[in-house]
Amino acid sequence: MLNLIQTEFLKLRRRKFVWFMLSTSLIMPFLALLYFNYFGKKDIEPMQFYKMSAYGFTLFIILPIVLGMLCTMLMREENQYDMLKQLWIVPVSKMGYLLSKFFVVFVYSICFMLITAVASVIFSVIPGYVALEWGSILNLLEKCIIIGVLSAFVMLPILAIAASQKGYILPACVTLVYAFSGFILMSINAYLHPISSMALIVICNNDIPGVVLKQEMNIPFAFLCIGIWDIVALLLSNIALKRRK
Amino acid sequence: MRILLWAECQKIRRSKIVWITIFATLMLASIVFIGGLDQYKGPEVHYGLKTVCDGARYIDNAGWYMDEAQPWATFFVLPSVIALLGSYMICREEEEDTLKSLRLIPINEGKLTLAKMIITFVFSILLYLLLFSITFLTEVILHSTNLSAELVISALKEYLLDGVGVFLAISPIIAFTSRLKKYWLALVVTEIYCVAGMFAAMSNVLKKLYPITAVFNLSGYHITTIRNRMGSILILLLCSCLAALILNGLNHNKKKKNRVR
Repeated sequence: MLNLIQTEFLKLRRRKFVWFMLSTSLIMPFLALLYFNYFGKKDIEPMQFYKMSAYGFTLFIILPIVLGMLCTMLMREENQYDMLKQLWIVPVSKMGYLLSKFFVVFVYSICFMLITAVASVIFSVIPGYVALEWGSILNLLEKCIIIGVLSAFVMLPILAIAASQKGYILPACVTLVYAFSGFILMSINAYLHPISSMALIVICNNDIPGVVLKQEMNIPFAFLCIGIWDIVALLLSNIALKRRK
Repeated sequence: MRILLWAECQKIRRSKIVWITIFATLMLASIVFIGGLDQYKGPEVHYGLKTVCDGARYIDNAGWYMDEAQPWATFFVLPSVIALLGSYMICREEEEDTLKSLRLIPINEGKLTLAKMIITFVFSILLYLLLFSITFLTEVILHSTNLSAELVISALKEYLLDGVGVFLAISPIIAFTSRLKKYWLALVVTEIYCVAGMFAAMSNVLKKLYPITAVFNLSGYHITTIRNRMGSILILLLCSCLAALILNGLNHNKKKKNRVR
């Protein structure tokens, strides 16, 4: 398994686009900076800035789409060059193959959120919008790591779809719809969708201003939702990979 | 040119991409519908022909669904799908190694790219019209008596112009990603470009200058002055000129490569 993971990371070195996508983690902190600059606000509550830079569109749209594209690219690599046959001959276990890809997504997701956290601090503290408070910075780091860890699990259904498809158009379009539905379902029933369930886990301490929940907070339910989607995704991807020759 | 357009239509018919984009549009419409089941609490809102009443579910207001599907589709889903389709169509000839055969015919590559862009443009309008049809039929089922012809015609005009405007706004991205031969990039870049539009909409100046929000000025979704609308049209035309310049560079590069070979 460790060999598989190592191979996956070695393959990543060749793909410049993957590194380019990591730079998208700077977009929301930068837009948050522009937003507060436009309204000319000073001495902003740290959580208010971080809500926009790290917990808003980053959590609901940008990170899911970036991870969705990464999943699609990782799964398509072997298909594109017809390498899967050779892998099955070695033999590589089908679940091992899938989990090695998942591990890459997992590490990538954490790195993405850590960059977002660092950029949020830099873009908020250096221009003087937010006072330097270690408590809020640690809280931001903690939440970013939670988002990073959970996002990888939340994107497992997309990895499963990418594993079952030879093309990239379907996984790419499903990623868009998946991210968008998570965003909308947050206000209807957050326990139906893994992305909205993840958002509930992130805001479980009720320390993010301006977030009004329409249903009762139930963290075990949110984990259950993510767990069910992941189990179904793993089962489906196992079936899809077994059918592949 | 007519033959090229016909050939592109035949190629796109064989590809699954059309069904996948229709699926994305259907999913988008159903998600916005689910979002509309939420109850609105606040002062009564009147904007043009549209009204949202306090205490009622959003979807119970005649015209809300037709109205609201537009920004959600434009900020989150449809431009990315259209950009992906456009850049895929341009890149696939090189990726699937069919460009050599096309050069042997010989085909004017500039015209070929233009045909692909025209198909993307038509596809963009058709996708918006599909979304309009879904929302319109739902509105007819839900409030057939409250729906005025004026509201429906104005929504149809908005959707039609949204399709035109979105293509113009994303055409530089299609051209640029095709030049880089990274159609993956089209999806990610367009999504970020569209989400950034939500922030641009907060500023009165950027609202008319940022291409994605300029689309709403063009379509009439944002009620604005003629001057602002002309400014937005100019921005969108500049976007298409930029796309033409990039694509022109793409064809010159190909010709230079051919000469070297």
